[in-house]
Amino acid sequence: MRSGEFHTSYRADMAIFDTARARRVLAVFLVVLFAVPLVGSSYWLDVLNRAAIAVIAATGLNILTGFTGQISLGNAAFLAIGAYSTAYLAAHGVPFFAVIPASGILAALAGMVFGVPSLRLKGLYLAMATLAAHFIVEFAVTHWDSVTGGVNGTSVPPPSVFGLALANDRTLAFLILPVCILTLWFAKNLFRTRVGKAFVAIRDQDISAEVMGVQVFRFKVLAFGVSSFYVGVAGSLLAYHARIISPENFPLSLAIDQLGMIIIGGLGSVLGSILGAIFLTLLPEVLRLLTSALSGQFPALVQLFAPLKLGVFGITIVLFLIFEPDGLAARFRRIRNYFRLYPFSY
Amino acid sequence: MEFFLQVLLNGLVVGSIYSLVALGFVIIFKSSGILNFAQGEFLLLGAYVFLAISSAHAPIGAALLLTFAFSAILGLVLERLVLRPLIGEPIISVIMVTLGLSSLLRAIVQGIWGTDTRPLPSVFSLDPIQLGPLPIARGYLYSAGCVAVLLVVLTLFFKYARPGIAMRATADSQQVALSMGISVRRIFALSWSIAAVVSAIGGILLATMRGGVDGSLAILGLKVLPAVIVGGLDSIGGAILGGLLIGVLENLSGGYLDPVFGGGVKEVAPFVALVLILMVRPYGLFGKVRIERV
Amino acid sequence: MHSIRTALLVLCAAAAARAQAPAGGEIKVGGIFDLTGITSDVGKPFAQGVRDGVSWTNDNGGINGKKIRLVDVDYGYKIPEAVAAYKRMVGDDKVVMINGWGTGDTEGLKAQVNQDKIPYLSASFSGHLTDPSKTPYNFFVAPSYSDQLRAWLHWVKDDWKDKSRNPKVAFFYGDNAYGKAPIEAGRRYCKEIGVDLVDEQIVPGAFQDATTQLLNMKQKGADYAYINVTTTGVSTILRDAKKLGLATKFGSNPYGFSEALPQVAKEAAEGVTGVMPHVPFGEKVSGMKRLMEFHQKNHPQDTHDALYVRGWTYVLVWTEALKRADKAKALTGEGVKAALETFKDFDLGGLTEPVTYTPTDHRPSTKTPIYQVKGGKLAKVAEYEMPRKSEWLGL
Repeated sequence: MRSGEFHTSYRADMAIFDTARARRVLAVFLVVLFAVPLVGSSYWLDVLNRAAIAVIAATGLNILTGFTGQISLGNAAFLAIGAYSTAYLAAHGVPFFAVIPASGILAALAGMVFGVPSLRLKGLYLAMATLAAHFIVEFAVTHWDSVTGGVNGTSVPPPSVFGLALANDRTLAFLILPVCILTLWFAKNLFRTRVGKAFVAIRDQDISAEVMGVQVFRFKVLAFGVSSFYVGVAGSLLAYHARIISPENFPLSLAIDQLGMIIIGGLGSVLGSILGAIFLTLLPEVLRLLTSALSGQFPALVQLFAPLKLGVFGITIVLFLIFEPDGLAARFRRIRNYFRLYPFSY
Repeated sequence: MEFFLQVLLNGLVVGSIYSLVALGFVIIFKSSGILNFAQGEFLLLGAYVFLAISSAHAPIGAALLLTFAFSAILGLVLERLVLRPLIGEPIISVIMVTLGLSSLLRAIVQGIWGTDTRPLPSVFSLDPIQLGPLPIARGYLYSAGCVAVLLVVLTLFFKYARPGIAMRATADSQQVALSMGISVRRIFALSWSIAAVVSAIGGILLATMRGGVDGSLAILGLKVLPAVIVGGLDSIGGAILGGLLIGVLENLSGGYLDPVFGGGVKEVAPFVALVLILMVRPYGLFGKVRIERV
Repeated sequence: MHSIRTALLVLCAAAAARAQAPAGGEIKVGGIFDLTGITSDVGKPFAQGVRDGVSWTNDNGGINGKKIRLVDVDYGYKIPEAVAAYKRMVGDDKVVMINGWGTGDTEGLKAQVNQDKIPYLSASFSGHLTDPSKTPYNFFVAPSYSDQLRAWLHWVKDDWKDKSRNPKVAFFYGDNAYGKAPIEAGRRYCKEIGVDLVDEQIVPGAFQDATTQLLNMKQKGADYAYINVTTTGVSTILRDAKKLGLATKFGSNPYGFSEALPQVAKEAAEGVTGVMPHVPFGEKVSGMKRLMEFHQKNHPQDTHDALYVRGWTYVLVWTEALKRADKAKALTGEGVKAALETFKDFDLGGLTEPVTYTPTDHRPSTKTPIYQVKGGKLAKVAEYEMPRKSEWLGL
């Protein structure tokens, strides 16, 4: 009978998986996950891919906002930079395994540029500067027609593996899911390193962090870079998935959605980014299922879907912030702990 | 030259509306330190409620008063239900809750009134007033007048009225205000209702000028942010000046740069200015510099 | 826990309702509409027209006895939403064709549509969609935006009485694919017929104020201006022009001009001309009879406009194609496309010009009526037929 967890070494305390069982559960989960693309319908595969992309982007945002405490409303802009880099490079014949990291790096560079104001700006003022970054990038992609195709958008050739084009959601899932897992594994490890701990120190109190010898500015900019790299990779996959990208793919509401994901999932938690991203990706789909099932009886529902989606998003955010400020990750941990020590949990 | 003057004048009058909306932001921020991203929706809701009441054949004065009453109550309720539980939470939570609120309010408006432009009875004639060689729209003149009056009223309020002084005290230090017997909660609630009413005035003015109400009015909430930040989040005078500045900047860049870049500069210019100004003055032009201690 | 169980039950019920096997002989048609986006002012009456047209068809024999099921979605005028909706409709719902809406999304989807062989009748009259060698599966029911603009420019030329100089024209258009669609064609046609294009002003998707754009235009001294945005935007521009006391004569594209314009823009709409490929609701033409009957029977209180009529004409065209395809035992995407391409002067009872599609030319018609607001009412003032020049195909 288990009575709790007892770590006898620092090493064990820092391990990614605190028990062998967690490792086994994860292995089973991964097998199931990779079986889904073989059987799922095209609609749900589309949802799966979008969710996986959202997970990467939300993890990136969480590194910046949740772990380092720098608020960013510019996430949609960095997604756009990643996506347009991909569109441009892929159209010039660069293979996908080079395109995806390159898009990430370009987005990271842009992120670091926009991260420079974080040296002087904090809190609300920083949020405003990143909001400005959003509008500036939006202007650039709308008007730099020769590269971005302007308002008409640009099409992205599908990635190809040994001459086989990954042109549908089924095949694309085998690209998106591994990238997603890779980035999550990296994120999980990041916070076991010096750099990750410096990020957290900055979040908790940047002046104290500086006193303790953390070079605040360097690490803030680095956080912007790492975060934007993630978001750029997500943008790259988004471009491959959407096949046509236009400025409309990257509205401000997308940045707000992603902030919503990490709020709902849990700030400063990799698991939270995953749960929040999945939750907010599935939410409109569930609503859509409900409304389309009921629209036979109530035709007005089709028209109410958009406000309904918006309203449910809003109320979910508000309710989570008031009643579960630590997000789904905290709830998940509580439930897991309940079952872990079952039947002697209290 | 005439073109320049005309663009400048237009910038000033449009800016006066921005100032009005910016005032709403500042009033809330000044007392409670919250930047309310749902301000645009307050404006939208005010305009729609005014529309609903006045289309029930209520006299304009009554419709205005009812709308103000509604907005004041809305501000109170939201503060009580949504914002108060979040006192002391990190800034990101507070930003997100107002963003969530803005989605929710917009959805409610869309659900009730749809997305069509609802025509509003014309209050002002469309014929312009001639200011020398320059035509100027009547609606804008009224709005500039309104802003001037509100500015005076609010300045007097913060200077002489007891609640106004209490609000300033709260902004200065909540602890000291509390120990002086000021109910900080009541001050927060008051600031939210004042801001909601001011926004409703802005919404009604805009709607009458455009001859109709639709969801795009809420964009003002975002457009005004540069004005608020440039002026400094906690300065009433800064908000007014910021609004005028941004209005002029927007119109000048629209007049001179849009033809060069093929549109869109007018929308992005305020944000470029915002970044540049923040680089030089991290707390805006008139904002209070905060000294941080560990 | 209880609430979770209830939610799950509702969800299962929903999934079950969705998965219900289609009744024998049902034909699924996709509908991608804008009910809440920036063009919803005109998107809603159009969608209503399509829906009513479908119910009318189903009440009157369907497609040779088979019922049509319209799988419709509101995409809020967002290209990504349209792409997602398209994927669902083609992948899961297996629709045979789609009735779409905007220019941006239609042009964005054109490669996909071609790959999946899904006939795509959209409410975008973009000239880029008329060349079957590039867009074989795209159709629409009106003269192209480009031909409409040419017709309006032609009207300008005729209306201009001062023979000492050419009329000066300005274009106002939205910063999106729809706004920009006919502009290049317009630029070239201005040169051809001797109209001086003096200015182009771009407005954002949703805007409250067009004053700076109008002031710029005033600088250039435009005598006429063509506005290529939807009704709400046209109204804003007209009202701002009135506030500035401009003397420019304005004209509008067919999505900015209908019975709704004088209602929204009020006195500022007076004298404005507009392209109207579909007749106003209630016009005395033979084709209007079934619309009036349906209107009387189902929703006599509602008001309708030319956009509603436009929605109907789409249904009348594609149901005829479905009937022809069904007769030929080819109720597939390819079959419907082939059926559409057999249309030769297909008569819509005066609701719009007779429709012709051929395998080499998808311009349904090139005749454009021009209306003017007179005393708050719409009155037809002219009509121009453009030649079917091959170099204009796809422009």
